[in-house]
This record gives sequence, C-alpha cells and structure tokens, in this order.
Amino acid sequence: MTALPKRHTVRYNRAETRAAWICLLPSVIGLICITYIPMIASFTLSLFSWNGLGEMKYLGLDNYIRLFTRDTKFYGSLLTTLEYASLSVVGSIIYSMIIAMLLNRKVPARGFFRAVFYLPYVLPVLAVYLGWKWLFDYNHGLFNYLIKLGGGISVKFLDSSAMVTPSLALIAVWLSGNLIVIFLAGLQNVPRTYHEAAEIDGANAWQRFWRITIPCMTPIIFYNLLMSLVTNLQVITPALSLTQGGPGTGSYYMCYMLYSQAFKSHKYGYGSAVAVLLFLIIAVFTGILFATSKGWIFYEGDEKE
Amino acid sequence: MSVHTAIQKRRGRMLSKSRREKTVGILCLILLIALALMVMFPIYWIFRSSLMSNGELYAYPPAFTPPAWRFENYPETLKSFEYLKFLGNTMTILIPAVAGAVVTATMGGYAFARLRFRGQKFLFTLCVGSMLLPSMVTLIPIFLAWSRLGLVNTYWPLILPHFCGGGAFNIFLIRQFVKTVPRELDEAATIDGCGYFRILVFIIVPAIKSAMIVVGLLKFIELWNDLLQQVTYITRRDRYTLALGLNIFRGSFNDDWSSIMCATCLSFIPGIVFYLIGQKYFVEGIVMTGMKN
Amino acid sequence: MKKLLAIVLCLALALPALALAEGDGRVHITYSFWGDQTEFESVQKVLDEYNQMQDKVFVEPMQIANEQYTETLVNYAIADQLPDCGMVNENSVLYFARNGVMADVSDMYAGEELQPMDCITFKDDGTPVGYSSCNEILIMYYNKDMFDAAGEPYPSADKPYTWDEFVEVAKRLTFDEAGKHPGEEGFNPEKIVQYGAFVNNWTWQMEVWALSNGGAWFSDDGKQCLINSPEVIESIQKVADLALVEHVAPLNVIPEDNGVGVGIGSKTVAMTTDGTWRLGTDFPNLDINYGIAPLPVMKEEVTLCTSGLTGVFKGKHQQEAYDFVKWYTREESNWDSLVLTGIWLPKSEYFYKTEEGISKWLGNEKYPYNKDMETGRKVLVDYTMNNAKPACWYYTPNTQITTNEILFTALQSVWSGERTAEDVINEIYPDLCEAIQID
Repeated sequence: MTALPKRHTVRYNRAETRAAWICLLPSVIGLICITYIPMIASFTLSLFSWNGLGEMKYLGLDNYIRLFTRDTKFYGSLLTTLEYASLSVVGSIIYSMIIAMLLNRKVPARGFFRAVFYLPYVLPVLAVYLGWKWLFDYNHGLFNYLIKLGGGISVKFLDSSAMVTPSLALIAVWLSGNLIVIFLAGLQNVPRTYHEAAEIDGANAWQRFWRITIPCMTPIIFYNLLMSLVTNLQVITPALSLTQGGPGTGSYYMCYMLYSQAFKSHKYGYGSAVAVLLFLIIAVFTGILFATSKGWIFYEGDEKE
Repeated sequence: MSVHTAIQKRRGRMLSKSRREKTVGILCLILLIALALMVMFPIYWIFRSSLMSNGELYAYPPAFTPPAWRFENYPETLKSFEYLKFLGNTMTILIPAVAGAVVTATMGGYAFARLRFRGQKFLFTLCVGSMLLPSMVTLIPIFLAWSRLGLVNTYWPLILPHFCGGGAFNIFLIRQFVKTVPRELDEAATIDGCGYFRILVFIIVPAIKSAMIVVGLLKFIELWNDLLQQVTYITRRDRYTLALGLNIFRGSFNDDWSSIMCATCLSFIPGIVFYLIGQKYFVEGIVMTGMKN
Repeated sequence: MKKLLAIVLCLALALPALALAEGDGRVHITYSFWGDQTEFESVQKVLDEYNQMQDKVFVEPMQIANEQYTETLVNYAIADQLPDCGMVNENSVLYFARNGVMADVSDMYAGEELQPMDCITFKDDGTPVGYSSCNEILIMYYNKDMFDAAGEPYPSADKPYTWDEFVEVAKRLTFDEAGKHPGEEGFNPEKIVQYGAFVNNWTWQMEVWALSNGGAWFSDDGKQCLINSPEVIESIQKVADLALVEHVAPLNVIPEDNGVGVGIGSKTVAMTTDGTWRLGTDFPNLDINYGIAPLPVMKEEVTLCTSGLTGVFKGKHQQEAYDFVKWYTREESNWDSLVLTGIWLPKSEYFYKTEEGISKWLGNEKYPYNKDMETGRKVLVDYTMNNAKPACWYYTPNTQITTNEILFTALQSVWSGERTAEDVINEIYPDLCEAIQID
C-alpha cells in the first residue's frame, strides 16, 4: 500500500470537534476519575504485599510469579472462568436470538410473552440464585426429586466440580433477558422496506433471515456478544451467593478469586495481581472480537469508504 | 395447459403457502408457550416458597403448591421490611442515576458514532477498555476518595458516578444504535442548517428512543443488583435500599427463608412496573422505524 | 430533554447530604453490628438503655449486612472511618489487633468480680487482645421422637458415643423408602427417607474432630501448622465418609448450617452437631421434642469453644467506646435478650463454677433447656469447664486465609467425594504453613 497515512488527509471541523468534546465531557471525567485513576492505583498495588491495614511492602513481580508457578488454584480458576464464559455466552446468545425472533413474529399476547422472558432479568439477582438453589439442591432439590421419581440417579448439580459450571451457566442463560430486549430492539430497527423488497424478489423466510435480518443485526449481535463476553468473564455473583468457589476450583472464577484473596483474605496486593491478569485476559478476548468485527459487521449508517 | 388450470395451480400454491405459514405460526406459539413455562417456573417456585412456613420449605418431597396458602406471611414480613421507605430510598438513587446515565450515554454514544475529532479512536479505546475492569477492583480507591469528601452514608457516591457516561457499555450500546440510523437523515438536516446538537436532539434521539429506554432499563437493573456498592456506602438503617433491606432477614445464626422470599417477591414489583412502562416505548420504536426510509 | 435534565438535577440537589450534628452536648459514638430484624431490635433496646442511664455519651447503631460485615469493616478501617466500637467476627480479631486498629482492652476486667474464662480470650503471641462477648460450645442435638420411633435409647449425657457407636446408631436411624437400613441387603442409598446423623462441616467446626482424634490444626502458640498429621486427615475423612461411604448423613458439599433447622427440625435427620446458640435461635421456633448430648468421641472427649467479640477501635472517642463496651458486654446488660433466650452462654467462670451462678441462668424457667437441669448441667456447664478448647482463631493469626479461604475451598472436594482428605491436605499444606507466617 502506498497511500499516505489517513490523518494527513482528514481535516477536522472545529465546530464538530467542539461539539464532540462537550458531548463527551461527562464520559471523559468518568473515565479518568472513576476508572483509570483508581485502576492505576489498584494495579500498582499488585507489585506490593499489603494486608489493608499494615505496611505496604514492595515485591516487584513476586505476586505474578507466585500466581503462575506456585498457586494451586490459579490455572483451575482460569479454566473454569473460560468454561463458564463460553458456555454462557454461546448459550445465551443463541437462546435470546431464538426468543427475540419468535417474539418478533405476529404472535398473540406478544407483550405478555415479552414480559415473561424478560422477567428473570428484572428480578434481584441474589434472590434469583437462592431460588435456583432449591431447584438444584442435591438432597432436597426439585430437579433431583424429579430425576429420582423417574428412576434416575441423583445429579450433583452444584456439588461436583464437573457439573457446577454448566449448572451455573444454565442460570446465566435463563437470566439473559437483557440480550433479548436488545435483540428485539435491533430487529425492530431492521428496515421493513428491505424485507418487502426481498419478498418481491422471491426470497423465502430462511433466505431473508440470513441475507437481511442477520446482516442488519450485526452491530447489535456484536454488542450483545461483547457485553455477554465481558460480563461473563467477570462472573462472581453465583460463586458468592451459591457455591463459594467450590467444589475444588469448580466455581472459583477469577473475579471470585480476586474478591476472595483481596477482600476476604486481606491480601490486597495478590488480589490486584489477579485483577490485572483478568483485565488482560478480557482485553485479549475483546481485542480478538474487535479485530474480527470489521469483517462481519455491517453498519447501515456508515459512510462508504 | 389452459389458462384456467394455471390460475388454479397458482391459487393452490398460495393457499399452501398461507397454510404453511399458519402451521409455522402455531409451532412457534407452542414453542413459545413451552419456553415461557420453563422460564416462569423458577419464579413460580420463589413465589410458592413465599407462601410457606420455614418447616414446609424443607419438607421432602417438595410441595408443588403450598400446603396452606399462607398469605399472612406478607403482612408479617412487612412488619420488619419497611417496604415503602426502602423503595423510596431506592428510587432516590435510581431516578437521578438512571436519568443521568441515559442522557450522558446518549451524548457520548452520539459523539463516538457521528462526530469526527482528533483523538476519537484513542478515547473510544479508553472507553471500551474501562468495560474490561470488574467494578470491585476500583471499589477501595473510590471509597477512599468519597470518604475523604465526607460523603459516606449519603447517596452521592451511588448517584454521581452514573452522570459520567453511565458506563462504557451504555455509551457503546447507543453508539451501535446511532450507527444504524441512516446518515442521509443528518446530512439533510445539516443542509437545512441544523447544528450538531440540534441533530442529536431532533434526529438521533427520536430515532434511537428504544435504545435509550433499553439503556434506562439496563441501568435500572444494574443499580438494583449493585449490592456491593450499597453495602459499602450505606450503613444507616434509615437510608437502606431494597437490596440492603433484603439482608435484614439473614441473621447471625439463621435465615428466615419464608420472609426472605416474601421480601423478594415484593421487591420484584418495581422492576416489573419499570419494565411495563418501558415496554410501551419499544412499541413506539416499531412505528418509528416504519417511517425511517 | 432539557426539562428532564433540569428535573433530574433538582432532584439530585434536593437529596439530603446532612451530616449528623445533633447539638445535644453529648459525645456520639457508633456501634457496628450485623444481624436480622430481631437482633436489630434487641441491640437497639440495649443501646436505648445505655443512652438513658447516662447523659454524656450517645450510642448510635451501624448495621452492616451479615455476609459482607468483615469486608466492609476493613474498607472503613482503610478509609480511617471505623466505628468507635463494634462486633468483630472471630476470624478477624487477631487481624485487627495485630494491625493496631483495636484499642488495648487487656485491663477491662482487672479487679472485677466476674472474670471471663481463659478459653475465650484472644491472644496474640500469648498476650490477651480481646475477650469474647459470650461463650459458645459445640454439642450434639437429637430428635427424641425419631429415637423413640426407632426404639433407640437416647444418647447419654454422661457417656458420649464413641465414633463407631455413633455410626452404628446412625445406621439404625437411617432408612430408605423400603425401610431398609444401610448395610442391609437391598438398601438403596438413592432413596433415603431419613438420615441418622449430620455432622456440621462448616470449616471451623471441623477443628473439633481433629482434636477429638488426637490431632490439632495448629500448635498451641499458633506458629506451626500440624494439619497434615494422620490423625487430622483421618478425622476429616471420617466425617466425609458419613455421607459418602456409610450413607448415614446427607451430602453437604457447600457447607451450610442446616443440621438443626432443616435436619432434625423437619425430621430428615435424627442427630446433628452444632453450636449452643441454636438453643436460642432455632429451637424456640421449631416445634419438636429435642435433647442435647456431648459430641461423639473419636479418641478424646473434647469440644470447641468460640464466640465473636465486641471490639473497641482506636480513635477520638476511644475512652467513651471502652466504657460502653465494658458495660455492654457484661452478662447482665444482655441478660434477658441474649442469655436467657439461650443464644449466649455466659462468659464468666462464676456462672459455671458456683451453684448460685448456674442457677441464675440454667435454673431460670425462661431458659430454653431448663426442663432437664441435670442434662443441661452436664452438657452445657461441665462440658464447657472440663472439655472445651479454644478454636484456633483465638491464638492463630490469619485464619481469614487458612480457615476461610484455603481450607474452605479445598475441603469441598472432600465433601463431594472427588478427592481424599489426604490428597487435598497434602496439596494445601505448604500454603497453610506459609499463610500463618504472614504478618
């Protein structure tokens, strides 16, 4: 490529720049004051040993070396976090897309159904986990009661390191009403004229779905993917309210590890090191998502280049 | 082949097409009902638990319907769960915070999606970067700052941060939606002599109203569930929110489950109401997109 | 939009950001605690009493959610915003004391008639740093009706079960849908209707079994970790095997205290081990005929004593807080609300060693277990005096790391039967040794 770097050719409009900064002022203040300064403070802490009340001791990279070489739970924590995130991202995207498509049809009592699928999301999340616990419980739970009624052998939904993450991911899928709403809002923004034109051209429903709905939805799909990826990699609530990290490292998600190390064990430096690594891992995944996004996202409102 | 049979054939095809669509419609409905029942079940389970005594809750096998419908659990729970007060406190935080988030996120999202300025990419990267950070990482530094300002046990630390763009997710969501608005619309407006803010208010905002409502809802739920921040900042009983109030049934030694479940069911109400209000606007969103092109 | 913005701003500005400056000339101090509504009311009552009986100090309650209590308190400590005094969970007493946050209270009971027992005195390297607000020990509860139904004699208060007897009795009390007991031909562990026993496996309570089996988690000076001894490993495995091998106990992988409320309360379990506070917190609400007995014995007859404390935090109003705590933690101040309800056992020796003292609580007709004075004496009084050892957090630093973090997660794999106690303990042993050395 021989083209000159772009910035030499773009000329910024002064009024536009001013408008942009005014619009972004609150966000920039927020980014600086409530994200980046505290973040730098926290990340610096990862080079120290600090119990919260005593003296800080500079350790260099010891916290990190320890995490990678001596911590018996770190790799387990990493793997189980990835497992949870992949299960719940894939599960909830597919689930919410299906529900959104169904709800976008002309079905009777659409408003009611919409409310039903969204409902889990508006409920206080801690209460929701407590409710699920009674379904999953090994001794008294409803699911195992039904399994035993059918002559099966009880399943350790939350009580085995193999089952705990899939079980919790199921709750995450159930909770993904927010994705449904966003998908629905996106579906409604797909211009009807496109569909009408395609129908006149003889495209069937399946073709219209793949050629029109999906491409028009790509920005929304991208957003939902990104949001559920980031939030699910930061999973902590189920571990806090249901399983306390176990069994083994079955639900010892990185965010829970960070919480447990920093806030419960008062090893703030070590917890910060976990935070830094979690941040980097999420950054890598988000980076991959963004890097591939150019290839598959279609912005209707974008100028053609 | 006569013209007559050709017409008949065509009619038959159209008939079969509409019949097929009908079948698909019914199948979809059945699927929806089945899924809806599955989704509602855990909620039903919480509700039925709220009408049982603690002893009945742990009986085995589990009862599908409460053995005795103990509606008296609710008045009993309300004696210690000061619902209206907690609700009022929660709303004092929620209303300004949600409004602040919607307004500032819309401004931010618009700037990122439509306006060109130096440093846009860098700022956007910073913005996306901030999503990658679990909120508890910054809990202590921010708490330190608020306590230096002497604002612990006020609602400021729970409200003001939401006036700063409402979180990268929401800015990003708005940006995505603004990008789906055809650019011709603001170009036309520019020709008519509209400035950037007028475009935002008169073109973009009406076009992405549904997204703004979604942001409002997301923020509402986020704050609703944000126990960690509320626990940290509010320790005075008269300033408790609903989320904190739910904790008062969890004692040092034992938990009063049926009261927890009653209080839980009561705390479902505002979320549902908010949703029902928001839903009206989703429908408006459909009407709007119809006239877009 | 602008209108909306204006409304929002007005709303925001109208919010009360009032600092509490009541000009009554009294020193206002805060007392932090956790607990539910009943506890809130009883605390408020005691505070009201103190606020009325003198006019120099006014105590305000500060209620923090139970599950986030210690974390929140530490956040406040970091921000230099600690309350003047407050409840401190057992596992963070030494943490606060060693980091110089708590005021020295070692002379609080000097020259007093009522001396707190040594067993419930927190010691850092041998120096007393705090006294528990009350005493609690671990005992065994059983449902008399379930024993009657099985034709089984009640557990004796004089002669506790040996572990093997305990397992045998539990087997006789366990049966499946067909009425078969574990070990019998055709017994189906998938269809158990009633369990014989439940041993509370909440991590800290497991220490009692280590002691019972002749081992110990930590050395008496709190400087060495002894948890990898065969005795300790065996004690953990024995408890896990109750559910995994013997099928006499329900599986409890995520430790929960439900032996009483769920277990013997709903007649799904016949015997359970738990703390004495259950006498006051659970049993009055459970309509069952229950009895108490000492814990079963692996090798040594022993129980664990423990309780949180009310700490005085350093600060401007340290002296006022000290006086309040001294008054507040006397048995008399909480006599009706906590001692006579059965939630607290008294903390002073006087109430165990003198007839007069014993009759004041155990002999009071309001006390939940006064119907059977003789058993009560043996299980609550003599057992505390003769067999109680302090839990490890009374003398071992960093239990917030060892018990709460490392052991808690690791033992879950043992409870679920995925790994053996030996395997798990050997893996975490180096971490535990290191954790107690951290300053």
